[in-house]
Amino acid sequence: MSRALSIIIAREYLERVKRKSFIITTILMPIIMLAIMVAPAVIAMMSTPEEQVIAVIDDSGVVAGRLHDSDEITFKRVADNIDVVKKEEAYGAILVIGSNVVTDPDDNVTLYTHGSPSLTTERFVKDQIEDAVESRRIELYEIDNLRQIMEDVQVDMKMKTYRLDQDEENETSSLLSYLLGTFMMLILYFFIMLYGQMVMTSIIEEKNNRVLELVVSSVNPNDLMMGKILGIGAVAVTQILIWAILIVAGSLCLMPFMTTAAATADDPTLVAAISQLGDPAFMAKLVVFMVLFLIGGYLFYSSIYAAIGSAVDNIQDASQLQTVAIVPIILALIISMSVVQDPNSGLALWTSMIPFTSPMVMMARMPFGIPVWQSLLSVVLLYVSFFGMIWLSAKIYRVGIFMYGKKPTFMELMRWVRYK
Amino acid sequence: MLLTENNFMTNILQVENVSKTFTNHKALDDVSLEVPEGKVYGLLGPNGAGKTTLIRIINHITAPDSGRVLFDGHQLTAADIVNIGYLPEERGLYKKMKVGDQAVFFARLKGLSKADATRALKQWFERLEISSWWDKKVEELSKGMAQKVQFIVTVLHNPKLLIFDEPFSGFDPINANVLKHEILKLRDEGATVIFSTHNMASVEELCDNITLINKSHNILTGPVSELRRRFSNNCYEIGFEGNAKELIAKIQPCVRTIEPMATDRDGISHVRFSLNSQDDLRNLLGVANAEVMLRTFNPLLPSMDEIFIRTVENSNHSTPTPPEL
Repeated sequence: MSRALSIIIAREYLERVKRKSFIITTILMPIIMLAIMVAPAVIAMMSTPEEQVIAVIDDSGVVAGRLHDSDEITFKRVADNIDVVKKEEAYGAILVIGSNVVTDPDDNVTLYTHGSPSLTTERFVKDQIEDAVESRRIELYEIDNLRQIMEDVQVDMKMKTYRLDQDEENETSSLLSYLLGTFMMLILYFFIMLYGQMVMTSIIEEKNNRVLELVVSSVNPNDLMMGKILGIGAVAVTQILIWAILIVAGSLCLMPFMTTAAATADDPTLVAAISQLGDPAFMAKLVVFMVLFLIGGYLFYSSIYAAIGSAVDNIQDASQLQTVAIVPIILALIISMSVVQDPNSGLALWTSMIPFTSPMVMMARMPFGIPVWQSLLSVVLLYVSFFGMIWLSAKIYRVGIFMYGKKPTFMELMRWVRYK
Repeated sequence: MLLTENNFMTNILQVENVSKTFTNHKALDDVSLEVPEGKVYGLLGPNGAGKTTLIRIINHITAPDSGRVLFDGHQLTAADIVNIGYLPEERGLYKKMKVGDQAVFFARLKGLSKADATRALKQWFERLEISSWWDKKVEELSKGMAQKVQFIVTVLHNPKLLIFDEPFSGFDPINANVLKHEILKLRDEGATVIFSTHNMASVEELCDNITLINKSHNILTGPVSELRRRFSNNCYEIGFEGNAKELIAKIQPCVRTIEPMATDRDGISHVRFSLNSQDDLRNLLGVANAEVMLRTFNPLLPSMDEIFIRTVENSNHSTPTPPEL
């Protein structure tokens, strides 16, 4: 590495890491994420649901007796006329059941409420009535033990899945793979987008306040571009490392709870998921590839962003050229969403090889277990393409940084590549 | 070509037949020039003539399509840029960075160690009386203040060749003067200065040689004194005691034009005239000397402003010719 390059990298890195905003986001982000995950549960626990009484006017005579109260909702059968009941303040809602509810449930049930009812209340009432009508219908067949027979016929199977391609036949969990794949793919999306654009805006800024002229009189433009990409990349790695440490520390605290949960859980899916999460070989492989794809994906896309940044004077002008980078990233995101449903489809295979989409799609596929040659080939292709892309970008950058005024088109960028 | 001078003087920089084309636009067309060591060299030309492109080629920022650049006798390479200091016309600094940190950063890019850079910078900051800015952020500085920092960064590593593009823009007259003295001091210490500006008064004051570029061609090259003589058109002014009318009548046949001037407080009259040929001068002075009491004699030299305008307008009206002299 040339001396100038290392000086540039050091400046790019230190100027960012020392900033208050970096320190704050790095520490605050996991806290916010945790808060987002935990908050609904806490809120649900803290808030006691509102209790309400629903008046039931049952003309059929078969439903009201079969309704079961919940913690929040109490059904109370009333004999009064609807207009009388409407005047009573005590009822949160009035449920009117017509006489032909068993034969024609659609037109025979009405719920009157003060204000709009909550979704859970509505669903609860609906389920209760459906159950009531169903059990009444079963009764009408007058077959002994029909209910018992129907329950016996019901099947609820839990399947165990094993991977044949692994040395040890570990139990795998597709649920966990799905969650892990989605999680890692989103992390990649977030980092490539955030840090790729950071490279772009930082180049635009340098160009805009003309400090660039001063810098390129001392260093080769290639070194300047490379130094920026690597310096900002180092910031990204630093941030990821801090988060990884926080996550590992957090899960070490949570692990005892999770293992006891696994021991007591009778749901085999959960047991498999937790045991897989605790499998060091599986997790290590994921982390290694995640880092490889994260760095490769960042390098590849930030070279595109660097070329775009060099070509424009201000961020507004960049929006049009940016589509060159954003469209494939969004495409990769969308494809990854479907890949976690079907990780071995042809689409999944091909898009996990093309460097524009491979980092994210591969990360989405990885937890499901894919042949090693595929992961390795994809990594090699990504890094080779990065060298191609950086070569191309450097050519554009060299010309672009001195172009002021006119907003260039994509075709003009391609023409710059041929300049000597 | 500058034969008398080149015989005993080495050129720090030689630009030989350099051409550079951008899409549909020829920025430089077969431009050659020689910058003698230890002198101040003016690089002049209207906006868009190709000066900045040439300066960028000298700085190894862009490469010429054809032709070559010799620095200190050898082909210019990337390694030579540590021996060049360049102050671009459009210049800025990192806004969020502290002045001192930033100056050290630029100095290190030019090859200085951190310790050397800091030591040299502290000296320069003291010399230009800006030591108190060291820990300030650049965004807190005024434009002129930032220019001073940029100047220091340009010269700090003691480069053999200094290139200043409009160095005085943004400075008040006092600071411009400080800067001018610093530039001349650097020249006296052995540095060569290339000076690009539109301020012709400062060219007359500072430059030993100039090159004028117009529409990507070198249209005029030479030492400033020689050029001014050449463009003088044989114009002179004499001051004398005696009858102006009679004198004018006497010398009228020898001159091309003649113009009486005001008589000054000391009773000395002045007459301006131009000759068809320098050879007529001796004859004319003889005639005048017999007629009146001659007090002063001055050749009238055109300003660089005039030379600039005349040469550029001429070249705009005719097809470009290779530079004379």
